[in-house]
Amino acid sequence: MKKEQAAPVPFRGFGRFRRPEAGIDPSSAGATRQLVDKIVGKLLFLVALFAIITVFFIIVFLLRDGYQIVLETGVWSFLTGPDWNPAGYNPAYGALPLIVGTVLVTALAMVIAVPLSIGTAIYIAEIAGPRTREVIKPAVELLAGIPSVVYGFFGLILLTDWIRIAFDQPSGSSWLAGSILLAIMAIPTITSVAEDAIGSVPREFREGSLALGATHWQTIRMVVVPGALSGIGAAIILGMGRAIGETMAVLMVTGNAAVIPDPITDVFSPVRTLTGTLGIEMGEVAFGSLHYHALFGVAVVLLVITLVVNSAARLIVSRMQGTARPGPHRALTAVASRITHAASAPFGRVVPPRTSQRGAFLLMSLSVAIVLAALGVILAEIVVNGAGAITWEFLTGTPSDLGREGGIFPAIAGTLYLVGGALAIALPLGIATAVYLIEYTGDGPLTRSIRAAVDLLNGTPSIVFGLFGFAFLVLFMGFGVSMIAGQITLGLMILPTIIRTTEESLRSIPGSLREGSYALGATKWQTISRVVLPPALPGILTGAILSIGRAAGETAPIMFTAVIFSSRHLPSSLTEPVMALPYHLFILTTSVPGASAQKFGTAFVLLLLVLSIYLAAILVRRRYNHAKVM
Amino acid sequence: MDNSTILETRDLNLWYGQKHALIDITVRIPKKTVTALIGPSGCGKSTLLRCCNRMNDLIDSSRITGNVLFNGEDIYDGHADAYAVREKIGMVFQKPNPFPKSIYENVAYGPRIHGVREKGALDRIVEESLKGAALWDEVKDRLHEPALALSGGQQQRLCIARSLAVEPEVILMDEPCSALDPIATGKIEDLIIRLARNYTVVIVTHNMQQAARVSEYTGFMYMGELIEFDETSRIFEDPGEELTENYITGRFG
Repeated sequence: MKKEQAAPVPFRGFGRFRRPEAGIDPSSAGATRQLVDKIVGKLLFLVALFAIITVFFIIVFLLRDGYQIVLETGVWSFLTGPDWNPAGYNPAYGALPLIVGTVLVTALAMVIAVPLSIGTAIYIAEIAGPRTREVIKPAVELLAGIPSVVYGFFGLILLTDWIRIAFDQPSGSSWLAGSILLAIMAIPTITSVAEDAIGSVPREFREGSLALGATHWQTIRMVVVPGALSGIGAAIILGMGRAIGETMAVLMVTGNAAVIPDPITDVFSPVRTLTGTLGIEMGEVAFGSLHYHALFGVAVVLLVITLVVNSAARLIVSRMQGTARPGPHRALTAVASRITHAASAPFGRVVPPRTSQRGAFLLMSLSVAIVLAALGVILAEIVVNGAGAITWEFLTGTPSDLGREGGIFPAIAGTLYLVGGALAIALPLGIATAVYLIEYTGDGPLTRSIRAAVDLLNGTPSIVFGLFGFAFLVLFMGFGVSMIAGQITLGLMILPTIIRTTEESLRSIPGSLREGSYALGATKWQTISRVVLPPALPGILTGAILSIGRAAGETAPIMFTAVIFSSRHLPSSLTEPVMALPYHLFILTTSVPGASAQKFGTAFVLLLLVLSIYLAAILVRRRYNHAKVM
Repeated sequence: MDNSTILETRDLNLWYGQKHALIDITVRIPKKTVTALIGPSGCGKSTLLRCCNRMNDLIDSSRITGNVLFNGEDIYDGHADAYAVREKIGMVFQKPNPFPKSIYENVAYGPRIHGVREKGALDRIVEESLKGAALWDEVKDRLHEPALALSGGQQQRLCIARSLAVEPEVILMDEPCSALDPIATGKIEDLIIRLARNYTVVIVTHNMQQAARVSEYTGFMYMGELIEFDETSRIFEDPGEELTENYITGRFG
């Protein structure tokens, strides 16, 4: 036996801090921590159960009330009825014009957004130097941070005017205006997802192609883009989902006549979307009436569209993650043969590779320029006109004369109240649910159906939450239009996001850390609270902050649940309604003539608030990434 | 030498779903020695190791029959507590897995979760544990720096220190050197030999020279069965089974 001592450190063990005779039966100290472990486990289960029941309840509630209209009119005539006229002498509930409106607005928006986004994504991922990238990427992300009511405001104040004048139309409120706005709003989603996909194409493929003598553009076109194709497809679908679910911006600029354009290609015709219909009609509907059920029918149609879009995106992503990715290999061979062809062709039969590269790069730079210009125009318009309106009185005063005079302090405070309440509801529920799903349950059919339900709600248009909040909390539960109803509605809206981001953060913590902790005799809760949660916290925090930013800018979920337009004082209890910045801007823009300074000022303050929340998220994420490198 | 048994399995069988991963394992691990488990990949040696402190509990599909006795008590008995078992029987993993905390906090983690709060006691435990893992001199001036800044070998010794800090009686090591370079491996091997004066070490290794260098007893496993268990010198010089000899001499595996 070789038992020579390596280093002369005498080691005798050290002062025992536990009873030396302790065996493997739980000691009294061990019993306490096990009790804690059990109680926490049960508690998490209960909270998760509550959140999960809520998620299913929302879905069932919508389906149940939407089913009524189908009983009345039949599925087919509801979906294909050519007239939507719930307020007429002979009410008609045909959703076809609304469905067509949604499809048309979304389709044209995609026609505009897809080339611009993909051009920008390729530019950022492949062409831009690190410096340029540092400028363009945040700029595109900034577009995603602008609240939809601010887009609507911009659209109503400027875009519709431009369209009216440029195309000599009687009104600029049109399909085209809606599509342009939606395109701008979908661009950041498509660009960032597509850029991720392009960036994840392995370097070897690029090098392989370049080593064959291909130009950069040939490599992009024949190797990189084909390799990222499924990711780009998912990006487009996600952008489409964003466009379909949008309410406020569309509602403010499309004219909202429930007609099918005639001819169908008339982009200057007014249209009305599914979401817009909910936004316009929800407030005036009587509880339990046919009209009420018809609106739920519309919400269910939106839910189904969400489901289809989400499933399609998920299907594509999961196929992308599959191991078989023959695309790039085949593409490499294709590059090789093309290049040989080009070389053997004597003159000009094909465009010389360098020329086509110059052309392509020019086009991509152009799309970046257009995207940046759109951002620049919107920001400049609001900042230049809005900053002038900011006075001490505007920020701290209360509104008078329908918001034409005075300040917006109650709206600022109200927005903070709403968001704070929403976070207080959603954060504990969401984190506990995610911890339970990841740490306590296996991947059975039950957890999978829970995830599916959470995903479904995650992509559901915010107006659908507004409808649920209005029908269930305001009317059925009798909360009335109140701060608490708005807080719960917003909380439910951000709950799926918080669950998802928390789950992702937890999943990114390697299992070996959990094992390391268990191997020291730690209980489950000790392991989760001390080893798993701390490194996951920045990710959870970033998700939470991002959802606050979203909640702060939302109008649709609160406009019939929580807000009033003009109030001289702050709410003194949870059951009173509040003012909120997005709604204030919405009403000022659509219903109060004049008051230009107040409109721009409100838009500016709202923009500033939401963007500073996003900035906080970016800072947290940057610190976190920095810390990870150490 | 005290040869009384500390850890013992009796007719231990384990299934992962349908796969029968351990078949009728009966073995006695002597106290305060180094015991090596060798055998080709997938033979069940890591699984056997993970049975000894109930780490397999964490795998949902695993099912077990037979007994594992620690100091004569069955650790799978209804009264036994998996957490208390792991407190007594620590484990060091194949890849170093320090927590993303400071060096100090990594070592203090174990005592803390077992109720040590006093700063002085923690300081002492951290120092002694790091000395015990032959890491103190290298890190004593930077105890509060992140553990992930250490080299791979240092990280593994930190993980050993971390398990020493809860004062286990047995330390299970699952290929602790497979992710390390030869110099770091040498340091860990020296440490293992030294640890055996106070602890019982069971080490799974792919490296037969390593088994020969550090262990007093060796078990050879093949296809889920323990083929042979004996003093290391016997296993390497005069194995009782042909299968063992073939493996030792490199004819397969």
